[in-house]
Amino acid sequence: MARSNEVNLNECKMVVPLNTWVLISNFKLAYNLLRRPDGTFNRHLAEFLDRKVPANANPVDGVFSFDVLIDRGTSLLSRIYRPATAEEPQPNVAELEKPVTAEVVPVIIFFHGGSFAHSSANSAIYDTLCRRLVGLCKAVVLSVNYRRAPENRYPCAYDDGWTALKWVNSRPWLQSQKDSKVHIYLAGDSSGGNIVHHVALRAMESGTHVLGNILLNPMFGGQERTESEQRLDGKYFVTLRDRDWYWRAYLPEGEDRDHHACNPFGPNGRSLEGIKFPKSLVVVAGLDLIQDWQLAYVEGLKKADQEVKLLYMEQATIGFYLLPNNNHFHTVMDEISKFVGSDC
Amino acid sequence: MSLHDSASSAAGSSSGSSSSLSSSKPPPSSLQQDIVRHLAGAGYTIRSSDLPQVAQRLERLETAMGSSPADFFQLASDAILYNPSDLASWVDSLLSEFTQLPTCCFEFILAPVDNAWTTAELHEPRVQQNITYEQQSLDRQLTVVTAMEEDSDIRLVHKLMACAECVQRGDFSSATSLIDDMQGLLARVNTVCGIRKVAGHFIDALSRRIFLGIGGGSVDGCGSAFENEILYHHFYEACPYLKFAHFTANQAILEAFDGHDCVHVVDVNLMHGLQWPALIQALALRPGGPPLLRLTGIGSPSPDGRDSLREIGSRLAVLARSVNVRFAFRGVAASRLEDVKPWMLQVNPKEAVAVNSIMQLHCLLISDPTLNSPIETVLNWIRDLNPKILTVVEQEANHNQLDFLDRFTEALYYYSRMFDSLEACRVQPEKALAEIYIQKEIRNVVSCEGSARVERHEPLAKWRRRLSGAGFMSLPLGSNAFKQASMLLTLFSAEGYSVQENDGCLSLGWHSRPLIAASAWQAMPEPGSCVSCLE
Repeated sequence: MARSNEVNLNECKMVVPLNTWVLISNFKLAYNLLRRPDGTFNRHLAEFLDRKVPANANPVDGVFSFDVLIDRGTSLLSRIYRPATAEEPQPNVAELEKPVTAEVVPVIIFFHGGSFAHSSANSAIYDTLCRRLVGLCKAVVLSVNYRRAPENRYPCAYDDGWTALKWVNSRPWLQSQKDSKVHIYLAGDSSGGNIVHHVALRAMESGTHVLGNILLNPMFGGQERTESEQRLDGKYFVTLRDRDWYWRAYLPEGEDRDHHACNPFGPNGRSLEGIKFPKSLVVVAGLDLIQDWQLAYVEGLKKADQEVKLLYMEQATIGFYLLPNNNHFHTVMDEISKFVGSDC
Repeated sequence: MSLHDSASSAAGSSSGSSSSLSSSKPPPSSLQQDIVRHLAGAGYTIRSSDLPQVAQRLERLETAMGSSPADFFQLASDAILYNPSDLASWVDSLLSEFTQLPTCCFEFILAPVDNAWTTAELHEPRVQQNITYEQQSLDRQLTVVTAMEEDSDIRLVHKLMACAECVQRGDFSSATSLIDDMQGLLARVNTVCGIRKVAGHFIDALSRRIFLGIGGGSVDGCGSAFENEILYHHFYEACPYLKFAHFTANQAILEAFDGHDCVHVVDVNLMHGLQWPALIQALALRPGGPPLLRLTGIGSPSPDGRDSLREIGSRLAVLARSVNVRFAFRGVAASRLEDVKPWMLQVNPKEAVAVNSIMQLHCLLISDPTLNSPIETVLNWIRDLNPKILTVVEQEANHNQLDFLDRFTEALYYYSRMFDSLEACRVQPEKALAEIYIQKEIRNVVSCEGSARVERHEPLAKWRRRLSGAGFMSLPLGSNAFKQASMLLTLFSAEGYSVQENDGCLSLGWHSRPLIAASAWQAMPEPGSCVSCLE
């Protein structure tokens, strides 16, 4: 057992830069401390360990941020990131919600990852990522601090995402000048990617227009054990056991992984034929053990005649988009920028 | 962000080689540049030269975890962990908790497994390094949590800012007409929550500044000491800020007193002594039995001749007796903290001394060039006591800025957060009196200047610099204190409070905005000679 662990560790270190390896290994280590075998979660320790950053209304690298309370009842906070403009490099704090001035301003609603249990909108890694997206897409980004498992199971995260979407859609100050509408994109990584799909579904059902979905290493699964899961189990930071733990923590008690939240095109899934679903950009890391599920998701969209672009990054592991020190990162950022930019 | 020139090909980077790092520049000489920039963006500080060793230790932990998972869970629930940002020391402390191997495997001399505290102390220089690196970004911080839930909020904020700006410029007639406008607005909107709630108090404070002048605080009087104590007590009951302060400070003091038989707490402002019953009880339950506890309480002399310090001391003595803790109390009446001299405190060289300051140090930040800086004077006498620990709790706000408008803006957002959190309190008259307590602070920040303005709150980043410069080094507060604080909050069952850890200090906030920060310090062995605290 120990020997095959050694082999795994060495392989893994060959494909990621050292500082990425250290970062993700540290997460893995910390997360192992937090998941208890009985399904409970050491939330106090999790919050202690999570590196958080405050919002900053002073622009840093051309981006400033502030937190808003979207729903008082559930204490649903979100962090908004905006570009500081050339005309107003230092925004007036009374005017944080000043109307956007461009003809078209994409508004990206971002759902952070963490397998439904970890991280927050103010986690340092996600604050960094959201700031990048602002500059990249010339967008306003709203990062949702959704309720997490196991304390809050399905459908809380989706409910919070939907609440945020409604809020964004109803802000006059986020409307693009061209058509006085809010140009909304949904984006997320890991569990955030899963939330993107389900919130987009609700949007379609209620006639709210979403321009596009961006799913980075989205978290999907199913009862079956797929080839990639068996081949890659424990090899690149992630094990099947931890994936199972997180699904048990998020899904309603007693449900299995063929629940539609986990497996949207599975036996309990819902067909998207005939529905106008947003175009999707799906990024799959070639060393992610759940890639078979992610690829099945893409197939499911294609079968329903939905517009989808797949970016398969062969040598990428989970979390490659957290540090700008590899080629996959730059490729993906370029594609995201094109995906959002093609709206104009 | 330099994206493309720092990219390195992922494939082919062999383990242990620092050339696989993102930076294509040669290893920089200064400590700060040595910190891996991208990891800093993720909230971790680590030197690029340490990466290979840290990687190695992570691997070792991984293997250990795989072979004895039960021990690992034990670690998670029992160990006290410190400073997750400092990756190198964090990984080392985990390893020392987890393994019982002899020291030959590691570079640092590890303390016995059950004493994670010592291990953290050995890594002090790294912690200082973290602080220096973060300062630059924190200085430019302006944290705004808006509760702009209605359109009227935005109008009100606009007018408040405009009014403050007029006041700053000396245009009192425009300011006055804006005040009339705002009072009209307020009369028409629901003032139950959000920024509207606190707007009334800010309008009031601006009016005072205009009509009573900046010494207005002294005309109003500080209220009698008795009144202030009542307000303080209700603020204590209505929301968790003071409880957090006391709990966290007590936890740190308890840990510092571990192993000492004679201990002495110096409280720089005793008030009602609300903090001390819990410490007395915790010491009573200490494994191995309680120490001899001396408590010296400093406070203002009572104007009505009551020896209130002694009264409180007696009550605490009764409690101590009931739990079999040998206890002695001394009161030191001083109207100004800077007038206290070490000899007044009668510290015994064999005692472990803890100095405790809950929201007192900011009052000393009056910068009058004709006086010796009061804050320096006080920090000097504290350091001269050679305390085992100095616990400091302060409002996490930047209310001491020179520019009135900046100060006003900060205060507006800070106090609107605090008022918002008070909404969770359902008991009266605690809530109403707590609001009055806070209102007095607002008045002082906004309508007073010079020696009348005592509420000179400064953020943790500034306190770190000040305390380091005065010869103190940081003692990290760990996961145990964090957990206690977190659990305290669940008692309040108000969703919205959160505890955060930041480089060894803990803060309590509402809706992700820290409002009060607690830290612990120790006098440096040779004051002023520690290289790492120089900027």
